[in-house]
Amino acid sequence: MRLTLVAALCAATVPAGVCAQSGSSPPWIRLAGEAIPVLTGTNAVPGGAATAEARLVQPVLMVQAGALADRVRLDAMADLEGWTIPNGELTAGAYGEGFYDRRHPHTYVHELMVTLPDVLRDLGGPAGLALAAGKGFAPFGTDDPMGRPPMLYPVNHHLSQLLERAVAVAALRTARDHVTIEGGLFNGDEPEYPSEWPNWTRFGDSWSVRLTVAPAAGLEWQGSRAHVHSPEHRPGAGTDAEKWSTSLRWERGPRYGLLEWAQTSEAGGLYVFHTLLAEGAWRIGRHRPYLRLERTERPEDQRVSDDEFRSARPHLDNSIVGATRWSIGTIGYGYGAPVAAGRLTVQPTIEAAIARVARVGSGLFDPAVFYGRRTLYSISFGVRIDWGMAGHRMGHYAGAPMPPGMAMPGMEHQVSEAR
Amino acid sequence: MTRRQMPFLFLLAGVACHKDAVAPPPPPTCSQTSLLDTVPIAPNYGIHDMFVRDGIAFVFAWNSGVLIYDVGNGVKGGLPLCPVLISSLVTSASGISGGPAVHNGWWFWNPNTNEKKYLFIGQEGPAIGGIGVGSAGLIHVVDVSDLSNPHEVAYFHKAGTDSTGTHNFWMDEQKQILYAAYYNGGVVALDVSGALSGDLSSRLIDSLRIGGKGNTYTWGVHLYNGSLYAIDMLSGLWQLNANSGALSIAGGGNNESARYSSDCWVFGGYAYSGTWDWIRRTSQSGAMLKVWQLGGTGAPAPVDSIITPSISAVSDVEVSSNGKVVMFSAEGGTNSGLYFYSLTNPAHPTFLAYYPVSAGLHTATFGYINGNVYAFAARNPGSPALMIWDVTSLVQ
Repeated sequence: MRLTLVAALCAATVPAGVCAQSGSSPPWIRLAGEAIPVLTGTNAVPGGAATAEARLVQPVLMVQAGALADRVRLDAMADLEGWTIPNGELTAGAYGEGFYDRRHPHTYVHELMVTLPDVLRDLGGPAGLALAAGKGFAPFGTDDPMGRPPMLYPVNHHLSQLLERAVAVAALRTARDHVTIEGGLFNGDEPEYPSEWPNWTRFGDSWSVRLTVAPAAGLEWQGSRAHVHSPEHRPGAGTDAEKWSTSLRWERGPRYGLLEWAQTSEAGGLYVFHTLLAEGAWRIGRHRPYLRLERTERPEDQRVSDDEFRSARPHLDNSIVGATRWSIGTIGYGYGAPVAAGRLTVQPTIEAAIARVARVGSGLFDPAVFYGRRTLYSISFGVRIDWGMAGHRMGHYAGAPMPPGMAMPGMEHQVSEAR
Repeated sequence: MTRRQMPFLFLLAGVACHKDAVAPPPPPTCSQTSLLDTVPIAPNYGIHDMFVRDGIAFVFAWNSGVLIYDVGNGVKGGLPLCPVLISSLVTSASGISGGPAVHNGWWFWNPNTNEKKYLFIGQEGPAIGGIGVGSAGLIHVVDVSDLSNPHEVAYFHKAGTDSTGTHNFWMDEQKQILYAAYYNGGVVALDVSGALSGDLSSRLIDSLRIGGKGNTYTWGVHLYNGSLYAIDMLSGLWQLNANSGALSIAGGGNNESARYSSDCWVFGGYAYSGTWDWIRRTSQSGAMLKVWQLGGTGAPAPVDSIITPSISAVSDVEVSSNGKVVMFSAEGGTNSGLYFYSLTNPAHPTFLAYYPVSAGLHTATFGYINGNVYAFAARNPGSPALMIWDVTSLVQ
């Protein structure tokens, strides 16, 4: 049954040749998609065992469209992980939305944003103003891990991005996009299951701002700040999170690199979690090696007895039983297989990670007891099937639509030169 | 095998290696409990504890405050079948992150003055550094002499070099002493005689970190036969001397190391305690009801234990006033709900009844109203509610 589903989704995602037209006028629409059938084995399992699972992860379908001479733009993405990984994806150290060591499925409607990309265009001034609203990313932090080279998510996803919110964004940018400042209002609550929509009544209880400076082609610095009200408790009775992020991103030709730092302070500073991450990729012909180094602290919530990959949701009240620090080195290699099917790329990839987990402070959670060890491994073999995803950097609503042919960092690098 | 076949082999191997968790079958249910009513509570986080006395139910509902229901008193025509809200009050947050966090309480009936004036409320603030490490929260005093107009009149904050916060209470009403479990602060004895107003820090009689610093996270207290029994998440069940509030260790302690302890109740020469297993302390699974026999000096010694699989905590324990039944609430697994065990042999309880509640129950207490016995329980989020059963036939 699961294999049938995997095959069906692959078949639906892979076909090529659908319209791929971009331009400022007339109206245009562009479709794209991605999926990764992946086998992961790991010993980051409660109780000290090891396990392996094959799953279809990141099965997404994307629609981008423009109309009225590009005065209006649509960014929409459906994410089918609620069907393919309802119990999450084995990922050492990943956490959030009630999952631990399994990366949670995202919501079916991952992004649905309407953007007025250049409200001031007819005034001919030096600055541009974009307005966007819908369900999507708050302007905070770095790019979504889905659009970055490693297959498995980093631990810091919930420290470094704010997504799947009801959000309104205003973005002011200078000529040639050298400096962009974005501000957003959104709902603080995180999703609890894939079919859930944001709690609309909480729209505006949280905010974020992000300053991005691009001094040279391919080089980008950002600094972000966010206040998130009660992210862990949907009705709004939970404690708040104060978030900071800064990063340096470099992408030029076949080379890509990212260095980021982020911090989340919860409950008035009672709990503070940090992350430091560096990653890079380099395409050499059809070969694409990549590397990620990460050191991230995460909260440890109460686990449910029947499934220790899961924490109690909704929270009962106080639920943090400690904190851990994950130091992970990930190395991967992808091979761009030749495929004669238009925008379709197929990249068999192998990825291995080794993690060292340590207790932070003196909470009840002891990783040596929980996992039976402190050093954990993960190895994955997958095939990244990409059909014209075109390097859509989710959460960046200020700029012009991505030109066709762009690709994921380190895969097909036509992005930087286009800037 | 060709290289092309390798991915499919990996795929099949992965599917074969994955085993979904199989939950054990739930215990048999019993028809001797009758659910009378389910009163929704605002999910703010929801309901945490109840105190039922004289047909009045105080519902401690986190940031919704305390809700006061007539459940058979008659003041508003309420019944267990149909509780009627009399009033509510959101106590002060007192600068604690997370808000009022109204968790538990005790309605003080002063036998010396016949006053029923004060309601003590425990504020369960954030666990600083995590559960088992630190805590925050005050004791708030509410004047409920007019149940329709409760108002806060006093507070107690335990001073110290580290942050501590309160949890469950017990009272020596005759001596007008409030005993409070204080998590990493241990146990607190507070003089609540006379009129209470403003800051009660000068009313502190004594406090004791029963397991020592780093080994104390006290969940609850229970006064019995001249001793104060304190159950501590880290260091187990203790017997304390409580001579007019002066606290000292009499016995017990460091007697449950496989699991974290939770609530306890003492009756008829035995103590019954639960365990909190939201995170395993050791490799042992399942939550436990542990039975202790109190020796000639009152010191506890374990005599039996009952493991319930597929729950994360025995979250509240209470023995009926006639000593026939021990009841406990359970949460965090497929066998969550309300359990009743017979105390025909108090050293070895036997299963009587189970009422499943999939969301889990955070706390439960008996209410004795108009000759009948009821179980009041706090159902967890996402649909928090006060649940009320008629358990008369089970208990009497």
